[in-house]
Amino acid sequence: MGSVKSVFSPKKKTIHALRGISFTIQPGELVGFIGPNGAGKTTTLKTLSGLLYPTSGFVQVLEYDPWEKRREFLKQISLVMGQKNQLWWDLPAIETFELNREIYEIPKRDYEKNLEELVDLLEVGSLLTIQVRRLSLGQRMRLELVAALLHKPRVLFLDEPTIGLDLIGQQKMRDFIYEYNKKNQATVLLSSHNMDNLVNLARRVIVIDDGRILFDGIFGELVERFAKEKVIKLFLAQEGDIKKIETIGTVKKLAFPEVILSVPRSTAAVAAAEILQNFPVNDLTIEEIPIEEVIRRVFKGGLAR
Amino acid sequence: MKTVFRYSKIWWLMSKNAFLAVLTQRVGFGIFLLGKLLRFIFFFGFIFFLLKGTNRLAGYDLNQTLLFFLTFSLIDTLSQFFFREVYRFRPQVISGNFDLVLVKPVNALFRSLMGGADIIDLVTIPPLIFAVAYIGSLLHPGILHATYYILLVFNGLILATAFHIAVLALGIITLEVDYTIMVYRDLTNFTRFPIDIYKGPAKGILTFLIPVGVMMAFPAKAALGLISFSGVVWSVALGVFALFLALRFWNFALKKYASASS
Amino acid sequence: MNKYWQIFKISFAQEFAYRLNFIMWRVRNIMQIILVYFLWSSVFADPSRQVFGYNREKILTYVFGILVLRAIVLSARVVDMAGEIANGEITNYLVKPISYFKYWASRDAASKLLNLSFAAVEVIVLYFIFRPQIFIQTDFLILVSTALSVGFAVVLFFCLLFLVNLVTFWMPENGWAAQFLFIAIITEFASGGVFPLDIFPAAFQKALYCLPFPYLLFFPLQVYLGKIGGLTLVGGLGMAGVWILILILAVKVVWLKGIKNYSAEGR
Repeated sequence: MGSVKSVFSPKKKTIHALRGISFTIQPGELVGFIGPNGAGKTTTLKTLSGLLYPTSGFVQVLEYDPWEKRREFLKQISLVMGQKNQLWWDLPAIETFELNREIYEIPKRDYEKNLEELVDLLEVGSLLTIQVRRLSLGQRMRLELVAALLHKPRVLFLDEPTIGLDLIGQQKMRDFIYEYNKKNQATVLLSSHNMDNLVNLARRVIVIDDGRILFDGIFGELVERFAKEKVIKLFLAQEGDIKKIETIGTVKKLAFPEVILSVPRSTAAVAAAEILQNFPVNDLTIEEIPIEEVIRRVFKGGLAR
Repeated sequence: MKTVFRYSKIWWLMSKNAFLAVLTQRVGFGIFLLGKLLRFIFFFGFIFFLLKGTNRLAGYDLNQTLLFFLTFSLIDTLSQFFFREVYRFRPQVISGNFDLVLVKPVNALFRSLMGGADIIDLVTIPPLIFAVAYIGSLLHPGILHATYYILLVFNGLILATAFHIAVLALGIITLEVDYTIMVYRDLTNFTRFPIDIYKGPAKGILTFLIPVGVMMAFPAKAALGLISFSGVVWSVALGVFALFLALRFWNFALKKYASASS
Repeated sequence: MNKYWQIFKISFAQEFAYRLNFIMWRVRNIMQIILVYFLWSSVFADPSRQVFGYNREKILTYVFGILVLRAIVLSARVVDMAGEIANGEITNYLVKPISYFKYWASRDAASKLLNLSFAAVEVIVLYFIFRPQIFIQTDFLILVSTALSVGFAVVLFFCLLFLVNLVTFWMPENGWAAQFLFIAIITEFASGGVFPLDIFPAAFQKALYCLPFPYLLFFPLQVYLGKIGGLTLVGGLGMAGVWILILILAVKVVWLKGIKNYSAEGR
């Protein structure tokens, strides 16, 4: 009966997606926005690209108000969203590229040069004339990047660019973003809920949770302050004297055959080696602390500025 | 008997769920209902004004023509009421959810055919029946012809069932459900008007080959005394035969589905 | 301007990717015309009969004219817009320097061209099958007026469809329903697409003429048949023009509200 009631009077909630977000980004910076799902990262990017209208405060990108959607402004930005493709599904990618050339009014020579550069960098030469729907997710994402960068945008917004990609694909994506930012001095704003996306990529990170900025600073600082440990997960081959494991690190979970430990970041590799030497291990992985855990700590520790 | 009972309960539950699902989209379905209502009224108005000006259509007067239209609407609405689930079949097959249907201890055909009765039609059916009865009574058919009428309406539903089963079977084989349904709807649309307006081969095709004529137009014709007893018998035989064929087709399609690798 | 030409080309290519879909659409169109053809042939079985101000020749011309006109006026791609808004793909176009309105206009143009080409062939084939007496208009002035009213009809219908699709901003799950109501139902009847509007009593017709729908199919056909001319013609075009202005204004207002309201979400 309850389900029928809820159908007749659905409760409405006002959601404050962002509360008091404030930051300034310089040209050429590569900034990572990190936070759990629903934190407000995507909302921030959408506001910066002119899709959303802020109910209070002001937004300025490249000296334009994004909401006004001036042609000159839009020609200098690019938005790539992990799940929403701009490539026309039933046609080869090259058709979308030609279309973008016209939309962004890219001069012929620049277009051809950019296209060649990007195609080489992303290794998609053989994929240009195949119908997009026939390609794998990884191939499509690479072509999406080409489409998004043909007009050499000065600001690049990337929302969850690695979603759905396998580990190799994710790494290649990160490498590309890094190279692109370095070579073209394009400002890159990257948002993700996956901490791996920021390791070795973004120098500056902004941690967002529940619509608020919890940390804005150098990535190293964040790690130093809040993610001092790494997590070692292992599967034991046989039960034995597991008590001794407690000498290597703090035991988080002990349920044969699984054991989860946390060890200081700097000594993680050594700890792993020690475990492998002294215990009958079937499988062992070293992982980052889940971002939610980091966020929780950041929150407990108060705002960075 | 127990099976009938069980399936009736299952049908009731599935329909109740479909009903609740509709309620969550009540704006959309409200508009949809309004659209269907308007379409009916417009067509009704069209026939009315048309016959006001021309007096007869293929030899039938206003009330008779209306009977054809109303009978069409009745059978069409009834089959949409029962078989609304067929319109949802395509995503099921494409996504592979159909496999989930197959492994349940409920007949897959029953589930795919009648899984979600359309609540909207509960609104439209009673007035239709009333309208049919009213217009019918104006024509004074007599007990025998009235019985023929009711019998042939049921036969029409049997034929509709056969059609929908065939659509499902085709959907399994070709993954194309939407097109076949649209073709079916377009073909039945031909019977909105008395099929005597069609000349030449078209009439024969519509009456017997793709028996929408038997399905939709014969009941009204019988009410008007234009179908003999043997004609009624043959029509029912055709209906039953079509159903039999459709079921065979369904089983064939299932076998093909099971043997193909996904 | 080049960008919209490019969209036209790419949209045309896209139509071919959905060949089966398109063929089915044409088949259904033909079936509808056949139905209407038989209907009116039956009514005018006696070739000398006159009713509703039509004779057999004129009514069959009407039927065939509808086939062609529908391809020009009523065929549209913009019906897909509701889907693009609902699944969030519109976001891609909002961040690009491109007008969403003109984007869909270009896509529509491609669809109309394709449909018109097919309709032209179908008309010829059907003509040779049924061999009806058709009235061919030869008066140059009338032909110009017809072209003008068809032009108005195209713009009118596009604006109407665009507006109806905008409703999806507020009802992402139910955009299809609004489309169904307006296009499948109201437009079908009130535009003269199934039957000429003269079968209605004069008072009712007058009321209909205040709405935009008759100007889509019925009005241009009447102009072609020579049944509307002079002052009535000008008055009719004026009315159509007024409706175009109203709809464009409405589109502008609703669009602005829509993108403000839109959270760029999507399934």
